[in-house]
Amino acid sequence: MKKVTGILGIALFLVFILTPAVNAAKLPKVIKIGGQGVTSGSKADYGHQMIMGAQMAVEEINNSGGILGSKVEMKFMDSELAAAVGTKNARYLVKDWGAHFLFGIDSSGVSMAMAPIMPELDRILIICHGSTHKLTEEAIFKKGLRNTFRISVSTYQDGILPAMIFKDRPEIKRVASLAAAYSYGYSAWEMFEKTLKKYRPDVEVVGKAEAPYGHMDFTPQLNALMAAKPDLILATPWGGEGLMMLRQAILLGLFEQPWFKVWFQCMGGSIDMAEGLTADVKGGKFHGKLWATARYLWNWPDTPRNKAFVAKFREKFGRFPNYSAANVHTAIFAFKKAVEQTKSLDTQKLIKALEGMKVQAPDGERWIRPEDHQACYTVPAGHYVYDRAVCPNAFLGNLVVIPWEKYYRNPPDYKLP
Amino acid sequence: MSNFIFQALNGLSSAMFLWLVAAGLTVAFGVCGILNVAHGSLYMMGAYFAFTSFQILGLNFWLSLVFALIGAGIIGFLMERFFLRRIYDQPIEFQLILTFAFILVFDNLTKMIWGTMLIIPTMPSLFQGTIPIVGRPFPIYNLFIVFAGIAVGLIIWVILNKTWWGMKLRAAASQREMANAIGINIPTLFTAAFVFAALLAAIGGALSTPIRVCDSGVGGAVIIQAFVVTVIGGLGSLKGAFVGALIIGVIGALCTLYVPFIELFVLYLIMAVVLIIRPQGLFGGER
Amino acid sequence: MTGLKDTLALSIKRHRSQLCWLGAFIIFLFILPLFSGDYILYMVMRMAILCLLSYSVNLLLGNTGLLSFGQAGFYACGAYACGKVLLAGTSLLPGIIIGVAVAAIVAIILAFFCVRHTAIYFAMITLAFGMMIFSLAEKWVTFTGGDDGLIGIPRASLNFFYIFNIKMNTIPAYYYFVIVATLIAIYFIYRILHSPLGLIFQGIRDSETRVSFVGISVRKSRLICFTIAGIYAGLGGALFAPLEQTITPSTSHWITSADPIIATLLGGMYSFSGPIVGSVVYFLLKDIIVRLTMNWMLILGTIIIILVLAFRGGVMGAFHAYLSPRLK
Repeated sequence: MKKVTGILGIALFLVFILTPAVNAAKLPKVIKIGGQGVTSGSKADYGHQMIMGAQMAVEEINNSGGILGSKVEMKFMDSELAAAVGTKNARYLVKDWGAHFLFGIDSSGVSMAMAPIMPELDRILIICHGSTHKLTEEAIFKKGLRNTFRISVSTYQDGILPAMIFKDRPEIKRVASLAAAYSYGYSAWEMFEKTLKKYRPDVEVVGKAEAPYGHMDFTPQLNALMAAKPDLILATPWGGEGLMMLRQAILLGLFEQPWFKVWFQCMGGSIDMAEGLTADVKGGKFHGKLWATARYLWNWPDTPRNKAFVAKFREKFGRFPNYSAANVHTAIFAFKKAVEQTKSLDTQKLIKALEGMKVQAPDGERWIRPEDHQACYTVPAGHYVYDRAVCPNAFLGNLVVIPWEKYYRNPPDYKLP
Repeated sequence: MSNFIFQALNGLSSAMFLWLVAAGLTVAFGVCGILNVAHGSLYMMGAYFAFTSFQILGLNFWLSLVFALIGAGIIGFLMERFFLRRIYDQPIEFQLILTFAFILVFDNLTKMIWGTMLIIPTMPSLFQGTIPIVGRPFPIYNLFIVFAGIAVGLIIWVILNKTWWGMKLRAAASQREMANAIGINIPTLFTAAFVFAALLAAIGGALSTPIRVCDSGVGGAVIIQAFVVTVIGGLGSLKGAFVGALIIGVIGALCTLYVPFIELFVLYLIMAVVLIIRPQGLFGGER
Repeated sequence: MTGLKDTLALSIKRHRSQLCWLGAFIIFLFILPLFSGDYILYMVMRMAILCLLSYSVNLLLGNTGLLSFGQAGFYACGAYACGKVLLAGTSLLPGIIIGVAVAAIVAIILAFFCVRHTAIYFAMITLAFGMMIFSLAEKWVTFTGGDDGLIGIPRASLNFFYIFNIKMNTIPAYYYFVIVATLIAIYFIYRILHSPLGLIFQGIRDSETRVSFVGISVRKSRLICFTIAGIYAGLGGALFAPLEQTITPSTSHWITSADPIIATLLGGMYSFSGPIVGSVVYFLLKDIIVRLTMNWMLILGTIIIILVLAFRGGVMGAFHAYLSPRLK
């Protein structure tokens, strides 16, 4: 019996004792980049958009000579929105597969779990979606875990931007929260409430509801809020759940009510939402009251660079690019730029190169703030419109553009603007 | 006060989904002695089949329900006949692991077949709109769900108490050896009972598609709620499953209104308390 | 104590070949860092922790016949407690010890409620308690960090009464600590299971009535068993906290409880080394499959189905039947 255990154990281990020793200092013939995102479940589209963005970036890089002559190879794994899976995959990608660079990550929770292990793995991670402000403000700035960067917006986009927009609308007096019942949802609401109250002490919070992760039926939450007759609801459940929530809100006649003026869907500008909402937007069910923002909008700004990116993406994949795709694309190019600048894969050198770097993204320039590694760039908010001439899906129109300097929190004290 | 009534009504419609899944779970346990952890996956298959036929193939709503029943019934049949039957004599741990493995398989198969498609159903035009109740709009579909759940309950009651087959089922549930002795074909009956349970779960899933997101993780999420309900009501008791579902559904909805942040804790606490004080649940017999 | 020496000598003789293989295995574990990379060491540590969790399940399942779906709750208690202690700045040992202690206390308290029942109700009530711990972990944000969990848990150094201070931040260093801790823990459980107490446990599994007729309190024995199982799960959690440096509520979810159950069943409920083999095989399977395909759930599920249907006593049971005429 122990015989079998021994043989089994040894045999299986021999399979694994092929760990390539990765020498990060010299530039190898193939540069490996490892990505993670959620590719299963109701949020699967975000991971798949990441894969598409990464594939496009890798193809573009390899077709134009690679990174300083080295070809790029990409591997993508499912993080399942779970911290334990994310960290295990990261270790596998770096220590076993030999990744020189990590990117991706959808969930705020997984982002927080990754930050502490990156120094141990001696690699750089660029987060492309997970938006918790605690990553940059606490993990990177305060705790000094400097191997992690974020190319995507922080929760300021979800919480502070809407406050800055609606503080100037006197008809918004009664606000309510439909929060995703985990830290992202709570943080977004807290920032919104505090910022709004600072400029508009007359605003009242009339309702607070929350929906646990994976919640299926929002009618109880919606009913609870409707009873309080708010002017504005700030909602954070996203992906498939968000879509369902909006459907149910339409069903309950929320958007028909004259007293209801604005539904702000924090990540509502993402492509899966746009595709899913098209029929209802076209049918006028939202009465122009559905507002949203995102981490990148394919239709803003209307520059040749952005248009070219969107056109190429559509040609390759047949869909519009989500912010996951655009951010991953940008992250990979940021890495490329850093390697070309330092002519090495040395982690500390790459960190120095990325700090303060101005990266070219499809929607313009993003500045990676050196203090907390947060990319600073503007994304507007708007409300959902439908215009077949512009796009087969619904999209955000009547965009309100507020420059990022006006709504980001800044180190070292991270005060509300 | 109207808040309370309205929310309770919401809870009632949520309860119906719980009831349908729990009913199947409890039938499978009561008759076959199988605690099928993959029961939630049968709910999920019902939802996917209904969605496919309604949305993609364009069948009408009622036909899509039938389609869902047929699909899930076949899966249930295959599960019982070729897999579960072999482990009836095994300790319960093997059942739990085997059915847990089925959750993994169904979850993955669903992902493979339906891909990353967002299952976004549209409401059949028959049910669109709301009805004012205590002065607030209540979705017609949710009201339909309440009636559908009660209707299914009545149908089950009729089947079990007024048909020959139902009597055989009840006999096999309470006295397996005697039932066998008087010539009831136990294996076939078990298969039939399990398929019946699968149909119940599938109806729940199919009815949920117009108002609930369907994704491949739904199987695992639903089963835990079904466990809570059947424990409270009593494993093996259909009446218990109904009452348990009502309790959980309504309390869950009221918690959302009054104490949202401890909803989950409260539900499991109730489950634990019932297990401590009266493990056989409200209506369960000695087992 | 002459009796003890003789018994020891006798058992060494009887199990000589097994001890040789055991020795070889342990030596292999100790020299592994010399020729393999960090990821492999990380995996072995995860296997060791899963192994402790599997022993926790196996103690209840294979030895007293109770299937617990809530061991993840104690695992989480150990992990969170150790994490909080280490975040307060202590060295490694206090964190581990307090983690285990907290898990033990919670286990003793819950034991009174859980051991009144058997079989399906035991499974249900452990599930309920496990999920209650889960919702506490998620919602008590000020203490547990909510769904973000405890982040940045330091892998504190091993400070043994100021005699020596070993840094643990490299993987190989922590690897040795985990392996030694696990081997010691396995040794203890070996002693327990082969002691009179262990015989009582197995007796309860086989026939409760007979055991109570002999005058032994079944309930008290179950309480003890439940507590020990909680301790082992807590130890697994406490070792896990400094390894991952992040603890999230999912450590207490019932799906986490499923892993050791599957591992135990794969390895064989009735053999002592079942949990070890099961943990290794289950972990490796999952890891290999995940690399090759995104459809790992399908393959893992299918393999489990085949194993359950084909091998009644798990992998170890099958090998027993083939290789060894003697019953362990």
